[in-house]
Amino acid sequence: MTLAPSVLVDIGGFHVTNTFVTTIIVDLIIVVLVLAFRASLSLYPKGIQNILEAVYEYFYDASKEVSGKADIIFPWVTTIFLFVVISNLLGQFPGFETIRFFSSAAGQDGAALCRTPTSDLNVTLALAVISIFMCHFYSVKYTGIKGYIGRFISFKMFPIFMFVGLLEFIGEFTKVISLSCRLFGNLFAGETVMGTVSSMFAFGLPLPFMMLELMVAVIQAVVFAMLTMSFMSIMIEKH
Amino acid sequence: MEILTNIINLFGLETKLFIAQVVNFIVLLCILKIFLYEPIAKTLQERKNKIRQGLDDAENAKKALADAENQKTAVLKEAKIDAGKILENTKISCESLKRKSAEDAKKQAEEILANAQKQAENEFEKAGQKIGNMSVDLSEEIVTKILSEIFTQEDKTKILARAVEKIANGGYGKATN
Repeated sequence: MTLAPSVLVDIGGFHVTNTFVTTIIVDLIIVVLVLAFRASLSLYPKGIQNILEAVYEYFYDASKEVSGKADIIFPWVTTIFLFVVISNLLGQFPGFETIRFFSSAAGQDGAALCRTPTSDLNVTLALAVISIFMCHFYSVKYTGIKGYIGRFISFKMFPIFMFVGLLEFIGEFTKVISLSCRLFGNLFAGETVMGTVSSMFAFGLPLPFMMLELMVAVIQAVVFAMLTMSFMSIMIEKH
Repeated sequence: MEILTNIINLFGLETKLFIAQVVNFIVLLCILKIFLYEPIAKTLQERKNKIRQGLDDAENAKKALADAENQKTAVLKEAKIDAGKILENTKISCESLKRKSAEDAKKQAEEILANAQKQAENEFEKAGQKIGNMSVDLSEEIVTKILSEIFTQEDKTKILARAVEKIANGGYGKATN
């Protein structure tokens, strides 16, 4: 398994990778869930509505506790969670990466048709960039441009706060790196371990690792969502 | 710079893929916001309202029940007091009626007694008068018989007239005294 996702098809210079295909599958799953939810929507919840309402209420309440602007934060956080958790769990399905795709772009041996989207740095980086960008956007919107700039540039107690501002500025970049690399690292490492263990002994032995990976899949999704929530609430509050 | 390019190549970072993922996420967010979050929020709000309504109704019913219970207790208490008063009044009326009846009976008895006495007296007076009349007639008869033998007709008439007059005025006893 390589760090980079495998290119399946090249459409006019756009590389359709196996993680991109899985991303579309994840989107479809979410859309189907939403349609199923819409179909069974009632005041007396059952089935899928229970699960989605539980997720909604958990993140809405958490956003409300963390920040006063729950209505703004929680759609981002919940979407990130749903996307990441379904992506992560999808990778745990047996045979997920064993279906091969053969094409000129995939090479002579072909490539796995599907791969967990979050084991591709393009995906995790995109999520992290969106998350941090929206933090800054809402910071400007709710604290004003003066308040926003005041986070990074301050002449009070010169040069201490100037240095603190510089650290904050660097911190914004490290947030992107930490968010994206944490998720990518955990999922990629998990898949590599699973691949190695499964190739060593296909029956029984992968089971504890699979259970561990299931936990990691949920925990990493919650961590990513909670960190986004916390970054957003910090940036929305006045400095 | 070369190291950075190597890292980018190693991780398969591509601008187009990155942008595609960003767009994908934004589209997904919009879909979820319209078709999931808003309906859930609406449903939760409706449910909350319904639960609140139910709780309010239950609270109102509880209050109404308590009020009804209080009212019942008050009505019962009032009824008990009224019943007591009615009973007391009835007792008093009964007592008064009894007393009045006794007094009436006594009065009636006294009246009957008085009437009887009066009647007896009348009867006695009548009898006395009757006896008086009878004695006048008897005396007249006796005197007439006696005098017819001693006196002449003219003397008899004079004596008789005098005797009748005397008897009519109270008898001989009175006249002699």
